[in-house]
Amino acid sequence: MTLPLRLKAVVRVCRQIAGMPDYQAYVAHLAAAHPERPLPTEREFYEEFVRSKYAGGASRCC
Amino acid sequence: MSILVWLVISVAGAAGWAALALHRGETINAAWLVLAAVCSYAVAYRFYSRFLATRVARLDDKRITPAHRLANGRDFVPTSRWILFGHHFAAIAGAGPLVGPVLAAQFGYLPGTIWIIVGVIFGGAVQDFIILAGSTRRDGKSLGQMAKEEIGPFTGVLAMIAILAIMVILIAVLALIIVKALAQSPWGVFTLLCTIPIALAMGLWMKAIRPGHTLEATAGGVVLLLFALVAGGWVAASPTLGPIFTLSATTISWGLMGYGFIASVLPVWLLLAPRDYLSTFVKVGTIFALAVGIALSLPVMHLPALTRFVDGTGPVFAGHLFPFCFITIACGAISGFHALVSSGTTPKMLDKESDARPIGYGAMLMESFVAVMAMCAASILQPGVYFAMNAPLALLGGSTAGAVQAVQHWGFTLAPGQMEALAHSVGETTLLARTGGAPTLAVGMAQILSGAFGPSLTALWYHFAIMFEALFILTTIDAGTRVGRFMVQELGGYLWQPLAQTSSWLSTIVASGAIVAAWGWFLLQGVNDPLGGINSLWPLFGIANQLLAAVALSVGTTLIIRASRVRYVWVTIVPLVWLLAVTSTASWQKVFDKDPHLGFLAHAADIATQITAGAIDPAKGGRLIFNDHVDAILCGLFLVITWAVVVASARVWLHSTTNPGPVAAAHALSAEAA
Repeated sequence: MTLPLRLKAVVRVCRQIAGMPDYQAYVAHLAAAHPERPLPTEREFYEEFVRSKYAGGASRCC
Repeated sequence: MSILVWLVISVAGAAGWAALALHRGETINAAWLVLAAVCSYAVAYRFYSRFLATRVARLDDKRITPAHRLANGRDFVPTSRWILFGHHFAAIAGAGPLVGPVLAAQFGYLPGTIWIIVGVIFGGAVQDFIILAGSTRRDGKSLGQMAKEEIGPFTGVLAMIAILAIMVILIAVLALIIVKALAQSPWGVFTLLCTIPIALAMGLWMKAIRPGHTLEATAGGVVLLLFALVAGGWVAASPTLGPIFTLSATTISWGLMGYGFIASVLPVWLLLAPRDYLSTFVKVGTIFALAVGIALSLPVMHLPALTRFVDGTGPVFAGHLFPFCFITIACGAISGFHALVSSGTTPKMLDKESDARPIGYGAMLMESFVAVMAMCAASILQPGVYFAMNAPLALLGGSTAGAVQAVQHWGFTLAPGQMEALAHSVGETTLLARTGGAPTLAVGMAQILSGAFGPSLTALWYHFAIMFEALFILTTIDAGTRVGRFMVQELGGYLWQPLAQTSSWLSTIVASGAIVAAWGWFLLQGVNDPLGGINSLWPLFGIANQLLAAVALSVGTTLIIRASRVRYVWVTIVPLVWLLAVTSTASWQKVFDKDPHLGFLAHAADIATQITAGAIDPAKGGRLIFNDHVDAILCGLFLVITWAVVVASARVWLHSTTNPGPVAAAHALSAEAA
């Protein structure tokens, strides 16, 4: 694995720990499961995600 | 070979415990405590969690998890177990496991440590694991939904009221901790204020400039945060700026209420989401740094194993060792709040059923270890310093000279000038009566970290620790007020329909205002309390959190019984019975005990006598009496709700054990796939 690819992998792990989904994974899921649906842009995807994540209020611990 | 390894680990753990139990000298190295904890966790994880996974829950990797079955690429996403472990741990660990042990150190380090370790192995980790496994088998349903479906709709509503009441108390007590840490501290106030524009800038960056680039925005945020931390020192030293940022406790309280209200109605991407990322990374990083610091510096603990305050006369909070040690330390041993996370995002991301063991049981062991480190940080202080920092000002005679006398009277020593020197070394004007746990933890952490990484930066480490706690407490205030707002809208909708429209501005403002007023009222009560507020609010919070744990364990027991695993039901029944004994005794004593330091009603009567005698201003005394009555009613309410849930569950248990229905079995925790 080249260095930039490694770095990208690290970034993805950190994002997932913080609870941020992976756009590439969503694109892959959409292509596999619902190829007929339109593909959101990366910006649309994250805006929609942040909105829905906190829509019911995030559960948070003491 | 593996038998040999586990034998060695068991013997090492036993040696750690033996050193703690038999040591009767002046001081002991914190390494023994860490050794006992780590070896106990390892043995419990290897053997007990394996038993829970294979026998009780019967985890089965052939069964498809909701992350695969309902995969949508967003919240239902199969996630590698280590990443999910990190995510789950970041979601459950907060200020709770850091503050509770510091307060419970008034009994000495031993009772709290035993409870943290034994409590997590047989209580907290079991609860988190069973709820996670149960929720995963039910498409990631929440605790409230499971209570409603498995026990009954009435229990579901009770659970919701309980969660709302706990949320209010939680926010109030956490806000009080910030207030106590930041009052008269320009350095701390400046740094915390800076976190708001930093989070806004991160939010705008992720929204408008580079969407989704969480990591680079967070990295930028952390750099700015560290700069704000250093700049805070310059501000505090400046003769013109210093006084501007020197605020009283009351001013900070009103500021927090204003912040909570505005933050909870702003769009999430602007403030809450970036703040969430910032505090997640700062939290994980700091906990890691603390572990490395303890490992490198191996500090010596000066606090005794047991203090004389096990008799209930302690200045930090009132009450005997039983039940109050077990109320004071909730998070870290068993925390009902975790049941909300274990039935929230985590079950939707579980790749394989067997991952529930490291994530449900393992992450809770990790949180328990955070609590053990907090206990170490408090215990390395001189006992005299610990009590001078954590007793209310009224008991310390109001001055450093008075504090020296008061501490001597309690049987510890405090040199004249010692507190001033310590305050100066961490860049504060005073450390007397800095109750609430955060400043004590910060002093302990500053000693550990400067012991490990060099002594020149003590003041910076202190304020780093304060900033780190305040940062995620602010996140909790924002998120908690928002959650509370949605709950008020949902519950209020039953009474007045328009309130249920979450998109309506009027409804949002009314509901947010109501929730801020509720926690703000308890916060101001705590700030104005002559005994410092933590004294009455922290036990209320502990009782509330353990109440939620009792609800979660009742639900867990129901899941086990419905799965026809009645013979293993003791895994949740034993901690449930213990929690019921603890919460019932504690609530009863908080309401009815005759000691005015302990019982709310006795305290109200005591104030009434003082008003008649002319010792207290009637208006002020009247307010104190009113506060006592509200606290007493709330405490009684918690007790009634707990028992109502347990009784409702017990009826289901009896019914299910006599005639298990086919429908129930199909949904059950470990029923075989249809």
